[in-house]
Amino acid sequence: MTQNELKRNCLIGLALAAFALPLVVSSPTYLHILIMLFLFAYMTTSWNLVGGFAGVLPLGHSVFVGIGAYTSTVLWLQYGVSPWIGMIIGGLLSAAVGYLIGKPTLKMRGAYFALSTMAFVEGVRVMVENIDMLGPFKLNGPRGLNIPPLPAQEAGFWSFQFATKEPYYYIALTMLILVLALTYYISHSKFGYYLKSGGEEPEAAQALGVNVASCKVAANVLSAFLTSLAGTFLAQLTLFIYPKSVLTLDLSFELAFIALIGGRGSIAGPVIGALLLRPVSEFSRIYFSDTLPGLHLIILGVVLIVVMLYQPRGLTEPLLGLFDRITAGFIRKPQEDTV
Amino acid sequence: MDLVFFAQDCINGVLMGLIYGLVALGLTLIFGVLKVINFAHGSFIMVGMYVSYWAVTLTGLHPYLALGIIVPAMFLFGYWIQNLLIRPIFIAERDVREPITVIVVTTGMWYVLDNLALLVFGPDYRALSPNPLKGQMLNFGEIFISVPKLYGAAAAVATAGLLFWFLQKTRMGRAIRATSLDRDAASLMGINQWKIFNIAMGIGTAVAGVAGAVLTPFYNVYPTVGIPFDVKSFVIVVLGGLGSIWGALVGGVIIGLVESIGPIFMTSTWTEAIVYGLFLLVLFVKPSGLFGQKHDW
Amino acid sequence: MKRIQLLALSLAMSLMLTSLAFAGPTVKIGNILPLSGPSASVGQQGKQAREMAIEEINAAGGIKSLGGAKIEMLYADSKSDPNVGVTAAERFINTEKVNVITGAWNSGVTYPSTAVAERYGVPYIVPVSVRDTITERGFKNVFRIAAKDSWWARDQFTFLKDMEKETGEKLSTVAFVYENGDWGTGFVTQWKKLVENSGYKVVLDEPYPSTATDLTPVVNKIRRARPDVLMLVSNAADAILLTNTLADYKVSPKVIIGSGGGHADPTFISGCGENARYVFDIVEWETDVNKAGAKEVNEAYKKRYGSNLTGEAVDAYLAMYVLADALERAGSLDPAAIRKALSKTDYTSGRGMIATYDSVQFDATGQNKNAAMSVVQINDIGKGLERITVWPKPARRAGYTPVFPMPKK
Repeated sequence: MTQNELKRNCLIGLALAAFALPLVVSSPTYLHILIMLFLFAYMTTSWNLVGGFAGVLPLGHSVFVGIGAYTSTVLWLQYGVSPWIGMIIGGLLSAAVGYLIGKPTLKMRGAYFALSTMAFVEGVRVMVENIDMLGPFKLNGPRGLNIPPLPAQEAGFWSFQFATKEPYYYIALTMLILVLALTYYISHSKFGYYLKSGGEEPEAAQALGVNVASCKVAANVLSAFLTSLAGTFLAQLTLFIYPKSVLTLDLSFELAFIALIGGRGSIAGPVIGALLLRPVSEFSRIYFSDTLPGLHLIILGVVLIVVMLYQPRGLTEPLLGLFDRITAGFIRKPQEDTV
Repeated sequence: MDLVFFAQDCINGVLMGLIYGLVALGLTLIFGVLKVINFAHGSFIMVGMYVSYWAVTLTGLHPYLALGIIVPAMFLFGYWIQNLLIRPIFIAERDVREPITVIVVTTGMWYVLDNLALLVFGPDYRALSPNPLKGQMLNFGEIFISVPKLYGAAAAVATAGLLFWFLQKTRMGRAIRATSLDRDAASLMGINQWKIFNIAMGIGTAVAGVAGAVLTPFYNVYPTVGIPFDVKSFVIVVLGGLGSIWGALVGGVIIGLVESIGPIFMTSTWTEAIVYGLFLLVLFVKPSGLFGQKHDW
Repeated sequence: MKRIQLLALSLAMSLMLTSLAFAGPTVKIGNILPLSGPSASVGQQGKQAREMAIEEINAAGGIKSLGGAKIEMLYADSKSDPNVGVTAAERFINTEKVNVITGAWNSGVTYPSTAVAERYGVPYIVPVSVRDTITERGFKNVFRIAAKDSWWARDQFTFLKDMEKETGEKLSTVAFVYENGDWGTGFVTQWKKLVENSGYKVVLDEPYPSTATDLTPVVNKIRRARPDVLMLVSNAADAILLTNTLADYKVSPKVIIGSGGGHADPTFISGCGENARYVFDIVEWETDVNKAGAKEVNEAYKKRYGSNLTGEAVDAYLAMYVLADALERAGSLDPAAIRKALSKTDYTSGRGMIATYDSVQFDATGQNKNAAMSVVQINDIGKGLERITVWPKPARRAGYTPVFPMPKK
């Protein structure tokens, strides 16, 4: 077995283990934490298509989460449209917004792009907070929308409501695996190479005839679509959305942090980042929030700073390096066989 | 009668706008030199406000005299933060002009500082005391002018002028400008880049301290007080042009006027949306802002 | 697979052993509160009031019908974020196995987290969260101590009408100025319903962002509208800023009335000083309430935490005693038994009963049907600025005549 084969087998093993996990872990609390972990890994992987491969720093992706959450919820509440269909409609709407906002902003560099995405999400939040009715659609301003929970026997796939956590778990896990596969496919496609070269060496890529700008916009559209699906999922999981929960800078920032801690631009980065950062925030909140107010956020801040100081490229590379070193002992190197 | 109210709103808009400009000044200076967006800027303002609060409470000085304590304290704070936390990143990512990781580090600083304030000072809303400026108003018939805001606006213009003079006329100022234009060339000319970065960060933070001293006479101090100023500062510096001192003041005045005059025509919650709309418009039409240099974007 | 099960089993066993190691049975209460973030101030007050009540209850011998069971408190920070609140409720119920949940101050957090408790059938006591609909969803496990939005709004208007009659002062116009959050906008829908039949004319309806850095433009609008009555819904920072700015611009409507929240925050008076004088506020409780035991409880609280009890802290304090009373009657930790006992609550006396009304009783929706409001005026009658109860008239502090309307500035 070579290192790469080993890694692939390990990944398959991990995926299978993840599918089997609910057989062992029955506590809804831990399932909920895992669901949120998968969801954030999913959103960050979607974010990574722009933030990682295209080499810019979007800080406004929660706008797509918000569009997804609001679209499916409004359609379900007012017209009884299944959230699954709402999910797709929200995704398409987000893709359109991703195109419209990406077209002018993605030409900007560094700080300007980051700031414009921030302003966009803040602007949208302020507008939603000011709008009770958007034409025929009830947004309910700052009070948000509440999805009445269905009785257990009526809940199910069509209504995207489940009495237990397991279905949510499997949906989130499936979404994550699919988006990872998509990312893998893209990063090995011509489009992926264009995108990466445009992110790293825009001038050189341009000179070679790559249309860097339209590649980035295409990536933004795809990323917006995928991120939006998570918004619908989040709405169905918590059954309550309001502007300050889905259209916030906090959420946008968290996605960027997860990617940066994990290592942006790599496929595993968002997953590793979520694996590390979500538990830090969940558990420090559980164990410290009552003793010393704010200590859990201080811990989160310190973790962010320390990781960036010592591993500015994120933790994926060093962790994979560690994996290689540990497994090196178990693998006979081909050269040794020949000698 | 209506004209009087309009004049009243304009005056308040300009005064408040200049103060916003002062609040954003530190951010634009730090960006101009380090090419770093300091996401902890709001927290720096918060720290500046707490430092002013304690300087006044403990010594009983007039808030503007307390600047003698506030400015050096904040300078050291900024110098130290830059040296301890941001410099290592510049060294690690030497080849990147705008290291994105700095955004994460400064956001980490924001979390740490705001919550440290909560831990140490508690969630209370503190009012400056003694506060010789409290409630002081100049009265011209129907028109009122707030004295603490007038002082604040004057302090904003004075601080900007002083900074401008410093950057144009002093040796250190020229070294800072040289570094901001071209780090490598400046280094080749014998300028110690790291020292310049530390000093620039120190000055930017000291200016946040001045803003803190200006705000405390009419604004309460509490751990999350910086957050509303944070995003506002970003908008202001982009409007004015990242890195431009006078741009920050002009950007501030634009925001101040929109916030003041807007509510005549709509509810004040909508003016926020206008501010962001204006911001995006400037980004699309003239990303370098009103006074920014073209090569910075 | 077997091995994993064995491992899980032994882990569970050791966990059980450690929990058994504590002396005697315990009742676990999970509390969800905004302990950090913009609402940290009220969250801390709620936590302090709970702590004090539970220490007293435990010191007095715990829950006697449960063999002197002690109450163990767990706190979770919601950061005012509904998603965090939901996660906390899930964890309290499934991992910590709490017997009862209380919380969550922010209506936005209480709303979805009570839904979680309802799903698992765990009793959830809501000391304060005023949105009407919290108890209007047919839930069986939710019990609210505080009055709801519509009652607060109703009593504000009744107060105005009563004062008009008492003083002969005629009021005709009102201005609504409120923070643009879920609380403010929810509250105002109640005002708008009530104002139609009140005979008052609305001359200004102005939401403002609660993170506003300058409220002068709003104050100028109030100046232009010249309302007789200024009705406010504000959080702490904006309540202080608004009151100071109103005073700076010498805006003096005949009446300014707040809706608790920021106006009831202990720092409101210190933050505004003289400018807070004559402002009315609607509350559920005040330190000058004429109720046996109230003074002592307030003194104990002040000694411990350095500030007076607020209406919201009293609701939290009272909630703990109501809960202890229900547990005593239930004599069991079975959720159904606790729920049944809670629904039959008639809490009239005891250290916790310092509320203005006579008894805590829940109606079929879980709402405390006796929750009543009083109106206070901030004034200095020789002992510094304080909050003085003025309405309803029987509860008015002896010898005090409300200043109504406010003198012109």
